[in-house]
Amino acid sequence: MANRPQIRTAASALIAMIADEYASSVSRTMQQPYMFDHLLMQVHCWDTVVGFLLAGVGNVDLRRKTNYLIVDSKTTIKQIEDAFKEFTSREDIAIVLISQYVANRIRFLVDSHNKPIPAILEIPSKDHPYDPAQDSVLSRVKNLVSVESVASDRR
Amino acid sequence: MMEDQEEKGNAENGIGRQKQVKDEYLLQFLDSLDGYLTLLDSLSSTLSQGWLELASARHAMGASRINGALLDLKVHAAATSLKVSEQDVDSMESQPCFTLCKWASSDNGERSSGEEKSLSPQLRHRNNSQLSGIISSPQRQKSLSVFGVLVSPKLRSAQLSFERALETLVEIANLHTTMLSMFEQVHKELENTNG
Repeated sequence: MANRPQIRTAASALIAMIADEYASSVSRTMQQPYMFDHLLMQVHCWDTVVGFLLAGVGNVDLRRKTNYLIVDSKTTIKQIEDAFKEFTSREDIAIVLISQYVANRIRFLVDSHNKPIPAILEIPSKDHPYDPAQDSVLSRVKNLVSVESVASDRR
Repeated sequence: MMEDQEEKGNAENGIGRQKQVKDEYLLQFLDSLDGYLTLLDSLSSTLSQGWLELASARHAMGASRINGALLDLKVHAAATSLKVSEQDVDSMESQPCFTLCKWASSDNGERSSGEEKSLSPQLRHRNNSQLSGIISSPQRQKSLSVFGVLVSPKLRSAQLSFERALETLVEIANLHTTMLSMFEQVHKELENTNG
């Protein structure tokens, strides 16, 4: 029982979100007048974050700091990195949801996070479906399997 | 000579037990990996449904009534949060366990756990009946009221879809920690075998 790594427990922890919402899809669909594409044209902004805020995860503290960041075309890599570092260092956040597309932009930072809390979950976005090959955990597993198969071949 | 044979037998039994433990860790790891990928697929479907319902709501209510400018930046606590507890894996290790607490308030709260997979048919039934009782949940209504008093039924459906997505995400988070824990075990066993 000695030297067991301590798990940070909490009665009430938050879910943080870093989602990408690009308006680039608007210019493509506006050329087409059909109803379905008109619907698609409107599915371009804020939707992931708005959806989860509807589900009640939004939190604004006394310093007016939110537990989410909406990444658009003007958001810099540094801003994303700062938000990621902030969310992963806050004691009150247990899960960080990050669009896989955004995670790829700060891949080094995401891959270097090795604490159990907060758990970093890569989620799909509207324009970028989830790709298991790019997932941080799954690529780590893949690397281990390929290293072991090379090592066993050499033996 | 008898003692030598006995020692040899004990050594073989020990090796057999070690192999059994390694196989067990590997099986648990592969099971959690399979569950992780299956849930991510389910999450993608749920999110797609939510996005479409949100788009339908925007189409019905108008883009000015559903846009980012309405996001509530007044100081408020999250109505849906997580409870993090410690789960023992073995005597030397423990891992976090996440439980979703939906719409927790002093008046009425609902609990939904990422671990309670056996309750999922009941949860589905509860989700269907929740649609009819949705008006009675004050926290849920408050979340919708950011977009006005009278909202499209599609917006309510989108809210339910994203709630389902949250439940799936908590299950994914629990499987994620299990998978990482088993991965470390398997990695350690492989290193011991090679070393």
